Amino acid sequence: MPGSMAEAAALARRLLQRRENGNGYAPWRDRDRCREVIVGQGLPASRSEQWRHTNVTRWYAAAQTADLGDAHVCVDAPAGVRVLDFADSQAAALAGEQGDIFDLAEHPLAAVNGLLLGAGVIVLAPAGVAATEPVRIKGLGAAFQRVLVVVEAGASLVVVEAPSPFTHRIVECVVGANAQLTHLRRQSASAGHECSLVAARVAAGGRYTLAHTSMGAALRRNDVLIELNGQQAEARVFGAWRLSSERHLDNQVLVRHAAGGGNSRQTYRGVAGGRSRAVLCGGIHIASGADFSDARLSAKNLLVSPTAQVFAKPALQIQASDVKCSHGATIGALDANSIHYLRSRGVGEETARALLTRAFLAEAVHDPEGASRLGLLP
Amino acid sequence: MSDGGRAEPALLRVDNLHVQVGGKPILNGLSLDVRAGEVHAVMGPNGSGKSTFANVLAGKADYEVTAGAVHWAGENLLELAPEERARRGVFLAFQYPVEIAGVSNMEFLKAAADAQALAAGQGAPSAVEFLKTARQAAADLGLSADFLKRGVNEGFSGGEKKRNEILQMLVLRPRLAILDETDSGLDIDALKVVADGINAFRAADNAVVLVTHYQRLLHHVVPDRVHVLAAGAIVRSGDASLALALEEKGYAWLDG
Repeated sequence: MPGSMAEAAALARRLLQRRENGNGYAPWRDRDRCREVIVGQGLPASRSEQWRHTNVTRWYAAAQTADLGDAHVCVDAPAGVRVLDFADSQAAALAGEQGDIFDLAEHPLAAVNGLLLGAGVIVLAPAGVAATEPVRIKGLGAAFQRVLVVVEAGASLVVVEAPSPFTHRIVECVVGANAQLTHLRRQSASAGHECSLVAARVAAGGRYTLAHTSMGAALRRNDVLIELNGQQAEARVFGAWRLSSERHLDNQVLVRHAAGGGNSRQTYRGVAGGRSRAVLCGGIHIASGADFSDARLSAKNLLVSPTAQVFAKPALQIQASDVKCSHGATIGALDANSIHYLRSRGVGEETARALLTRAFLAEAVHDPEGASRLGLLP
Repeated sequence: MSDGGRAEPALLRVDNLHVQVGGKPILNGLSLDVRAGEVHAVMGPNGSGKSTFANVLAGKADYEVTAGAVHWAGENLLELAPEERARRGVFLAFQYPVEIAGVSNMEFLKAAADAQALAAGQGAPSAVEFLKTARQAAADLGLSADFLKRGVNEGFSGGEKKRNEILQMLVLRPRLAILDETDSGLDIDALKVVADGINAFRAADNAVVLVTHYQRLLHHVVPDRVHVLAAGAIVRSGDASLALALEEKGYAWLDG
């Protein structure tokens, strides 16, 4: 039975066997813990609630046959920013101190990543350093990858994740007190099966900005967890995507306010055409005691084909009393009156649609260079 | 009615036009000839079919032509898509201009001018020259320079929206401008500015159809012909003095 627990368990067993022939990359990683998670709780089945819109079984099948590859870390970084391959002797200490900021038990696919890890890199902006140029992560060279970005107190950094094929990627972002990290995530159209996890933790007065641009893939699932765990920490999330043909994109985002006075804004604009499927679960969690938090979420979707599908679900959990929290999600088509107005001035229908689609997406484009490179704007 | 016999054929020829909206007849045999160099005013009470007439000429969907014909420069206008009509020089100043957030006025104007130039077999106008033209037109209409950078009609006042329609007319220079209630919602100063724009636009090779409820615009833009529309057909035509008589006596006068 496809997607059943039994099949998932069988796939998990086979994934574990793959590791038996592992390449011994970064032996300091705790692979036993990964094995424990997978064996202990099994891998999710397609029928599970969190995977109801993405057939995880197809991803397992892809993971079975993915070329695990060898680390080939290709990262451009400006002066003052340290870049360390996980294979580097100093990587273990640094990662041990700063990394592993999410609960592995809640992310079994991350455990698979840990087990099959083939490439990893640490990017570190030391305290007070304001990097003048962005760090560009061009390629890592393996199917299972991990990136740890550490921006120490008062530092500021822009990281660009340029499109490079992967089967599973974990990006951890540790933003120190009063530090700023802008994370530009560019996902080009792909025939691949990709899952990823972004986990960010922001200390007091720090700001993490995620600008995500995506064109979808045969299967693409992004889990994003952002935790504001210092007073007055801020998160800005921009998601802009445009899917065509049979492309798929499933974004599960959770911004967690763990400390008071935090401020978060999530802005998503998605366009679904062809027979594509776009999924967004945008979550806000305001923990008990995180008073004076201010969280907003706006998710708008444009359906440009009768055979495309959009699922948009805001999920709010508020445990503190004195907070501001708002959310809105819409799914609609281009406005016929706007199209007519443009046409009445001589603009052809196709151009009119493109102009209106661009205007719609623009509200969530925080990485114009990425949008242009990926061809996001029609 | 043959075109051949006249020395100066009509640029726009509306012949016995019948139009329904949602199955309900709105225009019931409207006929009108407009020649180059002329300004026509189409007046009438609410519900007489004025806006339907304007919208049908611009090609808005949901209007069903059940009988009659409209010819524009010898072509069957009703067979053309809205953008093709515009590219042939037909322009409608909307009664309710549409707000388009995220598309700047300048971007909108340039897209329109480029599309029209391309259709005419010309190259797109140079961005610098075009900007100059647009800025001048904005200044003439008393609009600030940043007006062009704002989203199309986004957050504009009623008067700004109407002036924006005239701005588009001045920049795109159509051969036929149909102005649908462009005078409504304007204060006296704005009305004068808009009227000046229309008068500046008037030329021997173009034509204007003013669709209006009130006579007040016609103090400033003197029409060559005035037509009164009632129940979807023109019931009386005359020169500019007809508008004055209407103002004095009201539309009820025609019923007598």
